[in-house]
Amino acid sequence: MTASHQRAGGLTATGTPPLLDVNDLRVEFRVLDGIVKAVDGVSFSIEPGETLGVVGESGCGKSVTALSIMRLLDTPPAAIAEDSEIWFNGRNLLALSGDEMRSIRGNDIAMIFQEPMTSLNPVFTVGDQIAETVQRHRKQSRKAAWERAVESLNQVGISNPERRAKQYPHELSGGMRQRVMIAMALSCDPKLLIADEPTTALDVTIQAQILELIRKLQDESGAALLLITHDLGVVAETVHDVIVMYAGRVVETGTVDEVLLAPKHPYTEGLIASIPSKELRGRKLNVIKGTVPNPFNMPKGCNFSPRCPYRFGPCAEHDPRVEDARPPDVACWLYTPAPGYPVPPRTRPQPSAERRDLARALSTTEPVDRPQL
Amino acid sequence: MADPRTIETETVILTGDAAYGAADYEVALESLSQWQLAWRRYKKHKLALFGTGVLFMMIFLAVFGPIIVPFDDLDIRPVSQPGGEPPAATDLFGTDNLGRSVLALTINGARLSILIGLATALIAVTIGILVGALAGYFGGKADSILMRIVDLVLSIPFLFIVLVAARVFGSGDIVVLILIFGLLSWPGLARLVRAVFLSLREQEFVLAARAVGVGNLRIAFRHMLPNAIGPIVVSATLIVANAIILEAFVSFLGFGIKSTDISWGNALAKSQGTLINGNWWWPFFPGMAIALTVLSINFIGDGLRDALDPRSRV
Amino acid sequence: MIKFIVRRIFGFIPLLAGAVLISFFLMQLAPGGPASQMEQNPRITEEQIDRWLAKWCLTRGADFGSIAYEFAGWLGVINCQNEGVAVFFSEQGGLNILPTPLGGGDNGILHGDLGISTTAGRPVLDVVTERIPATLILTITALTLWVTIAIIAGTYAALRRYSFFDQALTLVSYILFSLPTFWLGLMLIFLFGPALHLLPTGGIITTREWSPFNTSQYWEQFGGDPIGAILDIGRHLILPVATLVAVNIAADSRFVRASMLEALSQDFVRTARAKGLTGRVVVFKHAFRNATLPIVTNVGLEMPFLFSGAIVTETIFVWPGMGRLFFDSLVNRDYFVLMGLLLFTTVLILLANLIADVVYALVDPRIRYD
Repeated sequence: MTASHQRAGGLTATGTPPLLDVNDLRVEFRVLDGIVKAVDGVSFSIEPGETLGVVGESGCGKSVTALSIMRLLDTPPAAIAEDSEIWFNGRNLLALSGDEMRSIRGNDIAMIFQEPMTSLNPVFTVGDQIAETVQRHRKQSRKAAWERAVESLNQVGISNPERRAKQYPHELSGGMRQRVMIAMALSCDPKLLIADEPTTALDVTIQAQILELIRKLQDESGAALLLITHDLGVVAETVHDVIVMYAGRVVETGTVDEVLLAPKHPYTEGLIASIPSKELRGRKLNVIKGTVPNPFNMPKGCNFSPRCPYRFGPCAEHDPRVEDARPPDVACWLYTPAPGYPVPPRTRPQPSAERRDLARALSTTEPVDRPQL
Repeated sequence: MADPRTIETETVILTGDAAYGAADYEVALESLSQWQLAWRRYKKHKLALFGTGVLFMMIFLAVFGPIIVPFDDLDIRPVSQPGGEPPAATDLFGTDNLGRSVLALTINGARLSILIGLATALIAVTIGILVGALAGYFGGKADSILMRIVDLVLSIPFLFIVLVAARVFGSGDIVVLILIFGLLSWPGLARLVRAVFLSLREQEFVLAARAVGVGNLRIAFRHMLPNAIGPIVVSATLIVANAIILEAFVSFLGFGIKSTDISWGNALAKSQGTLINGNWWWPFFPGMAIALTVLSINFIGDGLRDALDPRSRV
Repeated sequence: MIKFIVRRIFGFIPLLAGAVLISFFLMQLAPGGPASQMEQNPRITEEQIDRWLAKWCLTRGADFGSIAYEFAGWLGVINCQNEGVAVFFSEQGGLNILPTPLGGGDNGILHGDLGISTTAGRPVLDVVTERIPATLILTITALTLWVTIAIIAGTYAALRRYSFFDQALTLVSYILFSLPTFWLGLMLIFLFGPALHLLPTGGIITTREWSPFNTSQYWEQFGGDPIGAILDIGRHLILPVATLVAVNIAADSRFVRASMLEALSQDFVRTARAKGLTGRVVVFKHAFRNATLPIVTNVGLEMPFLFSGAIVTETIFVWPGMGRLFFDSLVNRDYFVLMGLLLFTTVLILLANLIADVVYALVDPRIRYD
């Protein structure tokens, strides 16, 4: 079931505007050695209450995209293009003043980060840090804010929340700290939760717990979720829709089933094929040949073409992205007829038995009952 | 099963590596030696260049000054006021209470002041490297004992012990003074060297050298020491600067070098007494020379710190 | 916390021991031995000399033979009036090493007997302790002032990195840092004294109007006109404090700047911003609080330099504190005072370090009853 979305503040098929609508986001970084186009024309949208995953390798621009939504980038080195738009609840976030943006952060949009160890201030108690957000946005008394903080800690499954709230970050384990971050993010009931690699820095055993927690809370609160990760397994478990990014551009969008079971873009295909699994035991691991392009020297045309095993005529010349594309969408000349080029005969890869097994391997989630660490 | 990735096209299927040469991936740098890179970084530091210039001027003064403007002990002339003559056409910097030209004093003083600074650094660096390397490389007991000594020396007020030592052992001898300064300046540097050695000790290249049978001393000095050059050089410049100021103060108080020799400190030695009468020129010019020299050394030290930091970018 | 403090104090013992050893060595260096030093001052009577030598277990014309014995006696561990095992016991019958009220002896360093000043003819303990207030006034005022200014300037520079203020601060810092302290003092004396006639050029009080500082007559006068007295001291305080502040502010403000920049680049600052907190709160509550940790450590490390600075300024400005006493004793070769000063300053420095450690432990919750 694919919902169809449109761009730029338009209405969806359901008639309500999307909660978040990123339109042609372009972010450049001016550094000593030149200009890096970290995000090069990214567009996507999220409905209220929906979940979207952003997948890609390190350096593909997914974190920068998230930070742009929050406007947390330092604007001397970073520069967001003037005609980029980020619509949230009917307002263009990129056009808001500093004060207006500050009242949205932590309040309507909340973000959790990758490193729970260093993302919490070591000299304040965790309760203080949560209560601080509540006080800032809800204008409540210290006592009321503190109570809300304890309540949030309880919601994220921390036992003994009154005692824990008085503890300092260094007294908690990694998994607990990430729960605190989540509690902090959800304490003001945001409409959108952005999670930037929330489990990457955690033990594998804790990862599943945290992801499950995020999903559960998101479900219960009705908030939308934007989950950023490089791990396809995480995506399979947690979100419904996904976009795949490569070198600053979106290459494929669709639901998790579509993209993981039947990937269209050669890059996505390569990503999924390279996941090791016990089904493929005994065989050489698949890789995507080559390396990511030099950020100062992006290839012309499709920026994946130098590594693409299917590349042909138009790939090195023309950017395959289409205006006003609708998901499920793929930025590839194999699927969009390139003007002036014959469409190559190519059999669309069908979900093979292999692939189905793979997909199943990716999406295994049995909720595990483990003691909190 | 047909390989779904077969395409019939006119173009050749290229794999990623061949499609882009290595040059596109790496920003090509001409291969420069470490020192050349460091020099490049150093040149970018405007203040450091200024400092280098001034320092060279001072050294030039120190070496050739006494030849150009000789200081004649017998140049004691009668003065009209207790504090000496103010600057005038005859004496650009004025005179001291004995009628000696402050200009001559300043120029002549450069030699001993700078010499003492450099010699102190030499001693301090030698001892500091030895102690630091031994402590950092061998660790254990040797480290504990040596570091206790370092801590002790660092806890006692530096000036206190220097002045007392100068008073007790001094009596105007330059060599003794240099020894005192040097023997008290090495602990800070030793600590730095030790830190570098400690961090390098566990690295692979040390283990590799050991595995091949390279002796301990050789490993320490040939392989590990070069990594510490950066902090050592920067530290050394600070020691020189410190020693110059220290010599000035000690000589000013009268406990430094003997009055028949001239250093910047000596030059303004008795000037405070008559300062109330307004003879600013007497302490001003030698002191200014000290300040300029120390300032240049500090700029140079800063430039060196940036230039030799292996983590800086070109 | 108490355990923490006690443990730190134990850690100081080797340093104290070192200082004690150096002091003893110092005293032995006096040409002709301590006795002949004291003989030079006619105000010290023969009896005083004899009595004191006996207490300290020293013999006239001492050689290095029984050094250990002398050291123990000088320290106050043994009572050399007795012989054999009884040497460890005092006249009163208790262990000699104990404090006097508890039955211990009354000789040596441990019991407060630091010898007699050869220049003043009075016990060293008195001579040194009466100088402490003046030094404290100078150093504490200077320290407070320069730390405050450094924090303000450094923080502002960190927030406005590469601005004109920041670059100017860096340049000025370099210049101030390179000036010899004593020379700066001299120039300031000239500028505000003979040139502008704005400020007094030395001393702590105006000698024409006030009795010497810290004498009983002075305090009587003080009681009569406390405001005037404080103002008078204040006027004399300006130049020496300015000298100390100018030189030290350079290094500290750069350090504060670096600490603030370090704190501002931490992840939790990004989290704070992501929560929608205002810039002011992020900087002053979150970043600054963390930056204070290295700053406290730094101030603690500066303590020895504080005393060195005091030596220089008190000498130049004839400030009647321990620094000036040090200089005078150097000139007069009064080794006992020098020895006493060394012990005092070592103890004061260790105390200051202890306070800095405690403050740090209070500020950083990661260090708790460690």
